[in-house]
Amino acid sequence: MLAAIAEQTVNGLMMGSIYVLVALGMVLIYGVMHVLNFGHGVLFAVGGYLAHFFFTQLTGSYLLAIALSALALMAIGVLLERAVFRPLAHNLRNQVIASLGLILAIENLVIVLWGPNALQLRLPANAVILNLGPIHFSLLHALTIGVTLLLVVALGAFLKYTRFGTAIRATSQSREAAQVVGIPVTRVYWSTFAIACGIAAIGGALLGPLFLFFPQMGDVPLVKGLAGILLGGMGSVPGAVIGGLAIGVAESVSTLFLPTDYKDSIAFMAMVVILLVRPQGLFGVRVRGEA
Amino acid sequence: MTAPRMLAWPALAALLYAVPAITSDPYVLHVLVLATLWTIPAIGLNLMMGYTGLVSLGHMGFAGAGAYLGAVLMVDAKLGFWWSALAAALGAGLLGAAVGAICLRFRTHFFMIVTLAFGLLLFSVFNNWDDVTRGAVGFPGIPRPPAINFGETTVRFGPLPNFYRLALTCALAMLVLQWLLVRSDFGRVLMAIRQDERLAQARGVNAAAYKIAAFALGSAIAGFGGVLTVSFLRVAAPASFNLAESINAVLIVVLGGAGSLAGPALGALVFVALPEYLRMAAEWRLVVFGTLLVLAMRFAPDGLAGLARAAAGALRRRGGT
Repeated sequence: MLAAIAEQTVNGLMMGSIYVLVALGMVLIYGVMHVLNFGHGVLFAVGGYLAHFFFTQLTGSYLLAIALSALALMAIGVLLERAVFRPLAHNLRNQVIASLGLILAIENLVIVLWGPNALQLRLPANAVILNLGPIHFSLLHALTIGVTLLLVVALGAFLKYTRFGTAIRATSQSREAAQVVGIPVTRVYWSTFAIACGIAAIGGALLGPLFLFFPQMGDVPLVKGLAGILLGGMGSVPGAVIGGLAIGVAESVSTLFLPTDYKDSIAFMAMVVILLVRPQGLFGVRVRGEA
Repeated sequence: MTAPRMLAWPALAALLYAVPAITSDPYVLHVLVLATLWTIPAIGLNLMMGYTGLVSLGHMGFAGAGAYLGAVLMVDAKLGFWWSALAAALGAGLLGAAVGAICLRFRTHFFMIVTLAFGLLLFSVFNNWDDVTRGAVGFPGIPRPPAINFGETTVRFGPLPNFYRLALTCALAMLVLQWLLVRSDFGRVLMAIRQDERLAQARGVNAAAYKIAAFALGSAIAGFGGVLTVSFLRVAAPASFNLAESINAVLIVVLGGAGSLAGPALGALVFVALPEYLRMAAEWRLVVFGTLLVLAMRFAPDGLAGLARAAAGALRRRGGT
């Protein structure tokens, strides 16, 4: 039983890592631009499909394919910020509705381009099984968790120690004050979008080979990522990491005790309960009279 | 309202009733039935979103709650169609009031996330509660409404033209209900809340109660629409009430014109009929509508009804000078 719990914890950390990669981007965008991008899940899926495309059509190296896919998604992010979100700034409702439009348009564009059926991709890393005492998991599990940790540390260091990272944090604290001290707020906005979309692409590219690539592959990570954000606290980057991992581990371990049919419902219930009990999450601060 | 405009609406309604007499093409009627069936939940969402300012991302979950409640009452409890539909609308409305009371503790983004969560939760119940909802395979054997006797003639709702007239009647009834609500004191308070909730509260309005009432009413209308839809399809499937459908409902209301009386009908007609008219492939259809939704937010946030109003205004100005 203990071994089963440990193994499910590793599984949970792996799924949690995927949720973290979605949650990080949404938290960054929310923190800086104060908009919730519901289209982040489909961008995650596009990242997965592009990695698949680059891997099978262009390079033989999956790592390179992931990097290319992240770059492509960064470009798409800049484009979306410029074309969709910037013109709608200051109108929250319209921004969210536009992001719903992005879900419809992009998800179905994926179906047009790649068809409705799931694509499969087996990497050598799928087959390599690591043994850690009684626990067994594939190298890809370990890589997913490792890459996520690396990204989290890199993002944290970037935000904390670089000039531009400081500018991003300053903008998220107060847009007006940032503008007054000469921070190029517009550049902060599109760069934030680019970073967020790039991270989502890496998430999609890592999840695909573990399961399958399909047009709705971003839906569950989006919702779980949202749950993670709520748990960690809206706008808090460390909160998103811990929240995402916690959701992943909780639902994975819960499958040992509860029927799997309702696995997804647990996260939804958790979302509602968290918001009712502690709307600011574990690490967030209540801001701008929102909740 | 001027005389020509007062006549325009009954004339339009008469024209819609006459469609089966003009064409017996089952394809045209099928498209029109689907449009009228989308109109009803869209009216519910319009009351919430357009008039009260509550953007719900789980609206079709409540349509599904009504649909499944109606299905259980009709098939398992052998209750008549109209009583079941009434009970389903009431049930969906009560659920809407309960869920609304929770959701409305939150604002803006948080409200949307919670409605999204409840929509997903409801879908999960439809999909997994096999004993009651028959699970993912769907709930089969839902009957059409019973025949009605008009003196000598008996009208059955199996044939498409008759069901179309029935669905049209229901949709028109809901449009009239929307019109009555919007121009009542109740509707004015809802609009006051949308425009400035704090000001409304300062004037003594119990905003929370009104918003819960709007949520309940919108859900009840959606629930009624859900029953009618599954009665047309003869089967209730979870996929008819998932997140994608809830987003489609938002799309219909926004494209038609949130906060306008004709908006839900216009939006539903465009959403169902335009892709058919253009012979668009199923996947392209949502690519186009998703893009339209993004464009609408930027260039026509008041939807088709807003564009029509602006065009009419421009014409009038030109005529006046």
